[in-house]
Amino acid sequence: MNAGAVGGSLGAPEFELQGISKQFPGVKALDDVSFEIRAGEVHMLLGENGAGKSTLMKVLCGAYQADSGAFFHRGEPVRIASPADAGKFGIAVIFQDFTLVPYLDIAQNIFLGREFASRIPGLTDRRRTYVEARRVLESIGFDIDPRTLVYRLGVAQQQMVEIAKALSQDARILVMDEPTAALSARETEQLFAAIRRLKRGGVAIVYISHRLAEVFALGDRITVLRDGRKVASVLPADTSPDDLVTLMVGRAVDTTYGRTFCAQPGDVVLDVKGLAADSGISAIDLTVRAGEIVGLCGLVGSGRTEVARAIFGADRVTAGEISLAGERIDGSPHDSARRGIAFIPENRKTQGLALARSVGDNIVLAGLQTMFPAGLYAPHRAAQAAQVMIDKLRIATPGPRRIVGLLSGGNQQKVVIGKWLNAGARFFIFDEPTRGIDVGTKAEIFKLLDALASEGAGILMISSEQTEIVHVCDRAYVMRDQQIVGELSREQLTEANIVRLGMQS
Amino acid sequence: MSTAAHGMPARLTPSRDTLQALYRLLAAGLLCVVLSFLSDAFLTPGNIINVLRQTALLFMMASGLTLVILTAGLDLSIGANIGLSACLAASVIKATGSPWLGVATGIGCGTLVGLLNGALVTTLRIPSFIATYGMMWMLTGITYYYMGGETIHGFPASFRQFGSGYFLGVPIPVYMMLLFLLIGSAFAQRTIWGQEIYAIGANPVAAQLSGVPVARRLVLVYVVSGAMAGLASLIILARINSAQGDIGEELTLPAIAAVLIGGTSLFGGSGSLSGTLIGALILTLVLNGMNLLQINAAWQPLITGTIVLLAVWIDARARRASE
Amino acid sequence: MTKPCAVATPSLLARVPGVAIVLAILFVVLGLTSPSFATPANVANILVQSTILLLLALPMTLIIMTEGLDLSMGAVLTFASIALAITVLATGSVSLALLAALVVGSGFGLLNGWLVAALDIPPFIATLGTLGIAQGLSLVATDGQSVVGIPRSIQVVYSGSMLGIPIPIVIGAVAFALLCLLLYRTRFGTYVFALGGNREALRLAGVPVRRMLIAVYALGGAMAGFAALLMTGRMSAAHPTAGLGLEFDAIAAVAVGGTSFERGDGWLIGTLLGVVTVGVLRNGLNLLALPSSVQVACIGALVIFALFVDGLRSRA
Repeated sequence: MNAGAVGGSLGAPEFELQGISKQFPGVKALDDVSFEIRAGEVHMLLGENGAGKSTLMKVLCGAYQADSGAFFHRGEPVRIASPADAGKFGIAVIFQDFTLVPYLDIAQNIFLGREFASRIPGLTDRRRTYVEARRVLESIGFDIDPRTLVYRLGVAQQQMVEIAKALSQDARILVMDEPTAALSARETEQLFAAIRRLKRGGVAIVYISHRLAEVFALGDRITVLRDGRKVASVLPADTSPDDLVTLMVGRAVDTTYGRTFCAQPGDVVLDVKGLAADSGISAIDLTVRAGEIVGLCGLVGSGRTEVARAIFGADRVTAGEISLAGERIDGSPHDSARRGIAFIPENRKTQGLALARSVGDNIVLAGLQTMFPAGLYAPHRAAQAAQVMIDKLRIATPGPRRIVGLLSGGNQQKVVIGKWLNAGARFFIFDEPTRGIDVGTKAEIFKLLDALASEGAGILMISSEQTEIVHVCDRAYVMRDQQIVGELSREQLTEANIVRLGMQS
Repeated sequence: MSTAAHGMPARLTPSRDTLQALYRLLAAGLLCVVLSFLSDAFLTPGNIINVLRQTALLFMMASGLTLVILTAGLDLSIGANIGLSACLAASVIKATGSPWLGVATGIGCGTLVGLLNGALVTTLRIPSFIATYGMMWMLTGITYYYMGGETIHGFPASFRQFGSGYFLGVPIPVYMMLLFLLIGSAFAQRTIWGQEIYAIGANPVAAQLSGVPVARRLVLVYVVSGAMAGLASLIILARINSAQGDIGEELTLPAIAAVLIGGTSLFGGSGSLSGTLIGALILTLVLNGMNLLQINAAWQPLITGTIVLLAVWIDARARRASE
Repeated sequence: MTKPCAVATPSLLARVPGVAIVLAILFVVLGLTSPSFATPANVANILVQSTILLLLALPMTLIIMTEGLDLSMGAVLTFASIALAITVLATGSVSLALLAALVVGSGFGLLNGWLVAALDIPPFIATLGTLGIAQGLSLVATDGQSVVGIPRSIQVVYSGSMLGIPIPIVIGAVAFALLCLLLYRTRFGTYVFALGGNREALRLAGVPVRRMLIAVYALGGAMAGFAALLMTGRMSAAHPTAGLGLEFDAIAAVAVGGTSFERGDGWLIGTLLGVVTVGVLRNGLNLLALPSSVQVACIGALVIFALFVDGLRSRA
């Protein structure tokens, strides 16, 4: 395996976090986490969604302030109060949404804001820019003409430019968050070669990944987080993929899901065959029957939301058939809503609600045509209908006139759900229904899902929380790389199985 | 609503809007008071009627535009649209002698332009301010070419009643204004299409994902804006009894100003027709005041421009504060 | 990692066909329909007349690259020319007059920039507002009358020549060269790309974004001020409505030249060709005795077409 690099295991670590805790309203994101970063080492950080990985990294790079804990740079205690402070210690994060300017070339992007001045006053020294850029690119083994405009580069190449940019600012610690999520196998290999070169140069890398194969191919040390705590910090030689999965996933079940699983599913409500869309998904086959809650699992980026959007008509379908209760549909969101399909999107603030409008206005929006077939809108009737939903779902608001943006996350989600209940939907697509919601409201939402299912609705539920899927769904499809790679029946539906199918083995 | 619990924070939506409307009404009232002090001619029946008539006209232009701005769009072609519609209607009236054919032409032309704008924005996905800006120039060009520098004048008396006639001592355009205020407000607040338009302005993505046929509604608002421009052109024709190529030139900026002063946000989702009415009144009072005080008419676009900037700045400030 | 990943071809090749083809077609069509079109004298005429537009379209390119727009350029040009005329008549000094024009232009440019960058007002509204202001000031300062009696010293700027080349063309060439230098060889130019392409990246890099944005608009105003010198020289007078609408031609030239309104992409050669295209169109339609109104309508159609093509390209 990869041995620790120069001075790594003996001297003080390049950087160390000790006893970091961070609390957000309603949830303890980090609980006494310690983390060592050694020069020339690739330190893998694993954990499920919500385990605290990105929070930890944000604390490291100064974007968040820890509530308690200490930082040490080469043994000396230091403080990180801002991204600028982190930069002083050579900490650089490779962002997911890149900070590149499309119509400038690679070299200009690398040195953005730090251009070289030429001897002619006012002008930049282009030759030197290209020479220096080439030097940095070579150090990671990226052989490309630095005069290439960035918009012509693929995602993998752009990532290389981001790395070069960080290096050019004397980064000693690179944090990479799922860098291979959008890369092909060959591009991944190229990235690894670059990382190995960096290691030899003494750079430390913190690498967040879900791909177990990568963890063992590249990692020198592995830390696993779960529910905000560090559960293990091991060397690859001392562990195995199964052990890691167990560490990531094992937890006491403390949420009540209250689900009565469907013994006799009814007729097929949704039938999807060979669906492909211009969002990249292809060959999607799935069915949902009345009374069932069917899960759609997989890693972030595996295509789940794209499937949901294609079914609802929000993305353009390029192939395949979608049938609702036997009737073929290939429509638009307007058509889907009319037919009784509900879509509760992942991001309720930007896609599910008009934050500046009232609770009542939001609740009745999808049902306007049904409630007022003649076209005439009666505010008091709308308010009554909204109040019905407020009472039924127990939305914490003084009335339908309150502005939705002022409600808590859980109540906002209830408004979105109320919108579709008011419209009389019979088939529901939930995309991460409990994301960012407190435990109490989560339980209410699960009870609601159960009630809907018992009344005969069909539900397709996307969730990154494996526990949820296991305790709520009658069966589940697992996606990977924009396709469905497996279906798990009630008996087969375990967290471990989901994780295994969803990750590259 | 009776369910409001006492002691909880106020229901913010209605109170804030009504409060803002009251402030504006107050501002209008204050303006009247100030002007009556500054100029003896202000409170004369002739001047009051003039103000009412001008407000009515401005409101007619700005009413359709209000709907467009509610969707976070903009229609810069209104003035040019009025110009073209007026000139075409004028020729038709002259040629056929029938006022009704003229009315149909005017409204028809305005509607067609609106349809084109709507198509550019929804099908070709051109940002509304650029699409309508290009349209403005095209229409101006066509109008000038069509008129060839000539003027058409002398319309039948029955037609001129629209603009110059009175009923019970009040100019007819004022009745039209009230009628359209009623219809427009009813449309915006009491139809489902109105609700959908507000929703589109507040968050077009969420609206679409809630089943609102966004493209169809956008085309609708541009069509309405165009139709109202057509109607306004007829009233102008009826009033000044002549048509020439540059009729619509100076009308776009005041129309936008009226909508913005009235409290409709450029960023979409909030505003009302009654607000636009008050905005039209305020702007008319300001310009009327300038006239009475014998301030050079050349200052008018300047003042209007400054007012627009002020209104947008206040709006942007409020937006940032609430985020 | 053995073979190079991508070749550094500038997008020149991808874009030359577009606007050059349009220009070539126009040339051929107009040359056939109008005998006096394709003469050397006429072509020179087109180039000279297009210079004013070029001085506006070049900074407009930068502004559009930052996802902005300046609708007030024509009105600012007009007011600057009035300021210039009044100054030269009062003091007899050409340099003072030019200074006045530059001050006016830059002043409005700074105002535009401040409204957009500091007050967060959408560019088209901000510049629409300043358009009204500038227009109003023009009318007030002249009482609606033209300012005549411009001395020869100003007229000669437009009609004279240097080493056999008409001065306007020299000015145009120098302006083009300077703007190219600015955009492609200075930090400021690099930041212009970033302002439109990824403003956040610029902020993260610690560059004062607001100041840069204001500078872009200020440049537009300043060049409008300079163009006032040419315009006043050309007409030997300053009319309160002379330059109105020229910003439309400038925007059209930029759009036709291939600069996108939404991506931080822009190239000055395209704008140059776009200016020539608009100039050719106007000239040709003039020779066909079509009135200015029709020309405007045609240019409007051209802009919409260019935007449509641009929309197709960005979706491809």
